[in-house]
Amino acid sequence: MGIGFFLAADFMTVRLILLILTIFALAGCAVQSPAPVDERIAAEQVRAPAAAETRGLQVFALRNPAVTELSEAAAQAETNGDLDRAAMLLERALRIEPRDPELLQQMAELRLDQGRWEQAESHARRSFDVGPRVGELCQRNWRTVAVALERQSRPEEARTASERLRTCQVEPPPRL
Amino acid sequence: MRLRRFVFLLALFCLGALLGLFGPWVWWLDREAGQRFSERQWTQASRVYARPLEIYPGRSMDRQRLTREFKSIGLREGDPGMIGRYRSTAAQVEANIPGFVFAEGRQASQRIVVGFGQNQKQIDRVASGDGRSISLVRLPPAELGSLLPLDDRDRTLVALRDFPPLLIAGIQAVEDRQFAHHLGVDPRGLLRAAWTNLRRGAVVQGGSTITQQLVKNLFLTPERSLLRKFNEAVMAVSLERRFGKAAILEAYLNEVYLGQAGNRAIHGFGRAAEHYFGLPVQALNTEQTALLIGMVRGASWYHPRRNPERARDRRDRVIDIFYETGLIDEAERQRARSIELDLGEPRRTASRRHDGFLDLVARQLRLDYRDRDLRGTGLRIFTTLDPVAQEDAERALTESLTATERSDGELQGAIVLVEPASGEIRALVGDRSPGRFGFNRALDARRPIGSVIKPFIYLLALAQPDRWNLVSTLIDAPLSVPVDGQQAWRPENIDGVSHGEVALMDALGRSFNQATVALGLEVGLPALFRLLEQLGIHEPGEPHPSALLGAVEMTPLQVAQLYQPLAAEGYSTPLRAINQVLDREGREIARYDRRLRPVREREALALLDFALRHAVTDGTGRSLSWRLATDPGVRGKTGTSNDRRDAWFVGYTDDWLGVVWAGRDDNAPAGVSGSATALPVWAELFNRLPLSTVRRNWPEGIEWYWIDWPAPLLASEQCPDALAVPFISGSQPESLSPCLGEANESPRRWFRRR
Repeated sequence: MGIGFFLAADFMTVRLILLILTIFALAGCAVQSPAPVDERIAAEQVRAPAAAETRGLQVFALRNPAVTELSEAAAQAETNGDLDRAAMLLERALRIEPRDPELLQQMAELRLDQGRWEQAESHARRSFDVGPRVGELCQRNWRTVAVALERQSRPEEARTASERLRTCQVEPPPRL
Repeated sequence: MRLRRFVFLLALFCLGALLGLFGPWVWWLDREAGQRFSERQWTQASRVYARPLEIYPGRSMDRQRLTREFKSIGLREGDPGMIGRYRSTAAQVEANIPGFVFAEGRQASQRIVVGFGQNQKQIDRVASGDGRSISLVRLPPAELGSLLPLDDRDRTLVALRDFPPLLIAGIQAVEDRQFAHHLGVDPRGLLRAAWTNLRRGAVVQGGSTITQQLVKNLFLTPERSLLRKFNEAVMAVSLERRFGKAAILEAYLNEVYLGQAGNRAIHGFGRAAEHYFGLPVQALNTEQTALLIGMVRGASWYHPRRNPERARDRRDRVIDIFYETGLIDEAERQRARSIELDLGEPRRTASRRHDGFLDLVARQLRLDYRDRDLRGTGLRIFTTLDPVAQEDAERALTESLTATERSDGELQGAIVLVEPASGEIRALVGDRSPGRFGFNRALDARRPIGSVIKPFIYLLALAQPDRWNLVSTLIDAPLSVPVDGQQAWRPENIDGVSHGEVALMDALGRSFNQATVALGLEVGLPALFRLLEQLGIHEPGEPHPSALLGAVEMTPLQVAQLYQPLAAEGYSTPLRAINQVLDREGREIARYDRRLRPVREREALALLDFALRHAVTDGTGRSLSWRLATDPGVRGKTGTSNDRRDAWFVGYTDDWLGVVWAGRDDNAPAGVSGSATALPVWAELFNRLPLSTVRRNWPEGIEWYWIDWPAPLLASEQCPDALAVPFISGSQPESLSPCLGEANESPRRWFRRR
């Protein structure tokens, strides 16, 4: 291939370049200016209160050992302060099990600690969608969303998210 | 007397001239050698890798797929006691995986045993060579190709400590036995070589030391002259004086010329091992090491592919030298000599097939880097490609087009295969012939998308639950749409028939044009264009009402981007081909990580997802039921442009989103249609991919009800022909079906998913 690779540029019209630019505009700017990293946000504002307040129904899913291994390694990396490594390990795990709500929430909390509020919120919402929607995980979902919205200066929505916390306590509706 | 005096003066003059001329010359050579050696920068190709495969118990993957992956990363069948070999038996697959340097550090080579479950479709056991269970193994990634270094020298730099001991000792035994002791030149070696050559009547030993050979390779032109020999010797001594033996040997092992691959010269044992054997240099065995060391003497004369017999003789001679110098024992000598020349697949020819994908990678990289920074700098680029799925996609396109086209080679096509949740591009085919590379249709063919646009009109409607739901009645009847300054537009259905009153989900599923245009006019063209824009398609074209039937041009890659949020349950993410870029020292210089954005209309999107499933079970995608060996719950939409010029099929499961386009390059009517031309390609591809059953977690605001017809009314499970349909809470019909009166039963929600 080699040379042909670079000659390909000649074939591209300006329009095409624009097109590709737009397609990858989001992908390309991988480096968003991160907010100051505070590694305790997730621990103090999400995990601890969720654990304290959770009553009633708990859901524990059976997990693939590969996912468990990666998730534990990510937690360890996070404890060691290596958030980048933690993120990479979680991405590997999510490639194996993209619908694991615990994993998605773990990623959300990591993004919170990295100050990537938007991604924290998205992952927490996704975790809620595929998760049990009750219990401790539900608590952590909405606490993460609330904190992330607050940090993005969207207090109204943050308040709504905080109110959603209460629904986590409700027993799940019976399935017929 | 005067004569003697004259001769004496002449001699003195000559000596002075000699010192005066050669002194500065030697001084200059010495300085030059030192400077150039310490300032030299190895150029190194930037390499592009596929995604590394993760193997773990529970992964749905059969034996054949695993061994295909092995082949794509350069493993070959054989004794798994040797690095780079695998063996597949009835019970299991055993492999010896070469090491690899990932971003997190070096992963050592390892032996693994993989077992499969009862149905042979799933990995159910992964163990190490000694039988311990392993929960996860990451294979080294396949190499897809490389960006040329500026000087067309192909090289994989290896540190001295990473070369295997036999290679380090062997090269000295063969090329320069006094290397550890001499000062750059070796008069005794020169004499011995001359003597040996004289005795054997042929050049079997060269007199140059390793240092001299290095100087020759690095600094000097290949012509043979006494002056060059002199320069070489001076510079060799100079290098020895200034730099250690280790630095010289390391440079030599990375610089020595070991053959040609197309228009690129292979330099160094690191790249040679990869090129000839598909292995990292650490994994070479005795006979492979001997072959490469033998080639130092004359890389094309002893080339194992062009001159196999000569290469074999030379290799065996080197094995003998290994034995004579005590590097191997008699048994190993016998064994090594008895092995045939055993070369891997040449990597370079294999990589041509990935040019379509590499094209995309290069375009993305070019946004962030200058060509110069990409080429000579030894970047390592980790992409998202699945080499086995890529092969599947290539075959599916070729075979299926051949089966459906009117005349040989008439049709062209393209495939984009994406993992929906992450947006990672797993395969990309831009031409029906995998080896051919020019026009990359997956990226560059902008074609009208036909009915592929319809779901987005229905999405806009379903996002207004007070006006529409999945069972709303639409009218499929002739209509005339006024257009500014042009003739009114009168859309027709593909079968020429108007179908009257139809349920919204049937109008989409069966792709009725007139009903869709009527609905599209209600939700409005500007709203549709805003939605397309929101989903990442900029400048979709003129807002003519015919856009409602897909008179909008897009590339297959854009269509994949458009459908990604549907396939990912309402979370959009930019499609990407690259995960990570490392520099030559292994530092990360770019990461394109997973980013999600929830789409606002997630509930409407869930209803649309249901309708696209309906389109596959009861609509234009019906033929999938017999074309697919197993249907894991595919959602999909066909598309055909005016005069049957373009055929599209977009379909997805949880694991894959596939976009297929087919048509003619000259854009002439091709007699194609979405369901007859593009869908078979898609089915052919998905029959080859491992698929898991589609799971759905419906958003909170969704409730399910039984509905029966002709007018959509609330019914129950017991009513004949009743169908369970999802609704955004409160948007379900209120009137009860007569069926319920007869059965004397109260309507109830069928079930409610959280």
